[in-house]
Amino acid sequence: MHVIESAGLSDTGQKRNDNEDSLLVDNGLGLYIIADGMGGHRAGEVASRLVVESMRGHIKRCLAGAAPAEAEPVDDSLSAAANQVRDAIVLSNRVVHDAANGTKDYRGMGATVAVIFINERTVVAANVGDSPIFLVHKGRLERLSVPHTVQAELRAAVSPGAETLNAAFSHVLTRAMGINASVEANICEVPYFTDDILVIGSDGLTDMVTPGEMLTTVIRHPPAEACRLLVDLANDRGGPDNITVIVLKVKETSNGQSKLKNLWSRVSEGFTSLGSKKRTID
Amino acid sequence: MPMLTLKFKKNTIADYPLHKGKSITIGRRTNNDIVVENLAVSGHHAKIDSIGDGFVLTDLQSKNGCFVNEQLVTSQWLKHGDVVNIGKHTLVFSYGDGEARPEEVSAQVDQTLALDADMFRKMVAGNPAAPPPAAVESKHPLGILSYLSGGNGEITLTKKLTKIGKDPNADIVVGGLGVGHTAATISMRPNGFHLSHVSGLFKAKVNGEAVKDTIQLKEFDIIELGSTKLQFFTKD
Repeated sequence: MHVIESAGLSDTGQKRNDNEDSLLVDNGLGLYIIADGMGGHRAGEVASRLVVESMRGHIKRCLAGAAPAEAEPVDDSLSAAANQVRDAIVLSNRVVHDAANGTKDYRGMGATVAVIFINERTVVAANVGDSPIFLVHKGRLERLSVPHTVQAELRAAVSPGAETLNAAFSHVLTRAMGINASVEANICEVPYFTDDILVIGSDGLTDMVTPGEMLTTVIRHPPAEACRLLVDLANDRGGPDNITVIVLKVKETSNGQSKLKNLWSRVSEGFTSLGSKKRTID
Repeated sequence: MPMLTLKFKKNTIADYPLHKGKSITIGRRTNNDIVVENLAVSGHHAKIDSIGDGFVLTDLQSKNGCFVNEQLVTSQWLKHGDVVNIGKHTLVFSYGDGEARPEEVSAQVDQTLALDADMFRKMVAGNPAAPPPAAVESKHPLGILSYLSGGNGEITLTKKLTKIGKDPNADIVVGGLGVGHTAATISMRPNGFHLSHVSGLFKAKVNGEAVKDTIQLKEFDIIELGSTKLQFFTKD
């Protein structure tokens, strides 16, 4: 059995009146989501909540063994769990897109999404938009998400245009939930180990806090405290946007961290090194 | 790049240029980037981080605090002409003549927007170098494993998570005593391919070294498991 210590926190920040971010921390499902909404007349709030709720609904049905019949064709490059996450995103995009086109006040609304789905052996990380997902393994921070912003994609294409881009466009998304009838998420699946830390944020956090600050905060403090400290830091620096963060710490994996298994693997390492020594003597 | 000018009373002591992407620390101890020798200054008093186009000053819980324009601050974006007081010393933050100054940083963090056709036309009008959206799609190199022994030919890593092990359903089946059902996996991540140990008595080796948890694969790394030997490389 794997054991995950988790916490999540969302704050309106110092400049906005509404919080358009939504978050989900569901240890039962192993599902953790941040959605950052956009659109006027509180539509951003509606969009981000729709994303979180519809994705949770889909994953819950999948885990109960009742995957809806209208599921997308299976993507062979993804595991079963990663396919479930992809389906949840495709479905949720349709829900937001339909709502945006069905109601005048909601026209043009959308949201980013960053999701982590933890299984017995792997973590599936998926995103649409610029809300980041990080993995901390052995004190090193690695981004598992791919930012879908004009600036990031120009930079990836090594275009000189990226640096001359007006600052006003630095946050323009090339993909978001609900904007088009279909959407493609970036999906990544990785095995996890005891003491690994996963962090999901909204850009209101990552625009205000450096990766180094985030790394030391999540390593030194338990999840709930780390969330509070990170939100406070972003607010201290002006908090111009909504700030949301989820921190997960792996306390135990099901890959066998038990003493007996540790002993076995140490014995086997002994064998291996013995074997290699023999070979060099021969 | 902007400059920090360290002053004591009216005398200028030194100029320190700030660089994008680099953090600096200020304090009494000699391992700081800016050393201020005064007992009113803490060992590690404050730091300045580069975030986006701007710079932000953060007090490191110093004993006597940090002041920007005579206001006590814990963390603050620096603007041209800001005067930072640390003990009895001052640090003046300034941009050079004609140097681009970031707009008020909070103004940059505008409402998040999704790109639509209208906005794209506006953007391209100001940036002739910007390619059309279709050309923007970033490409990942393909990861390939080539058999050195235990098999023939090449395997292209098409899956996000490729399973290697004894299990007949594994993507790469490897036999041998002590090889786990799923012995190891290779995950495709934004920054490249990573090999991880999963289970089994014997761990996969990369360049002769047993992988205990996760290792990022480099060009031409040699992976050994059981009787199988594979070489990793990428193709555009």
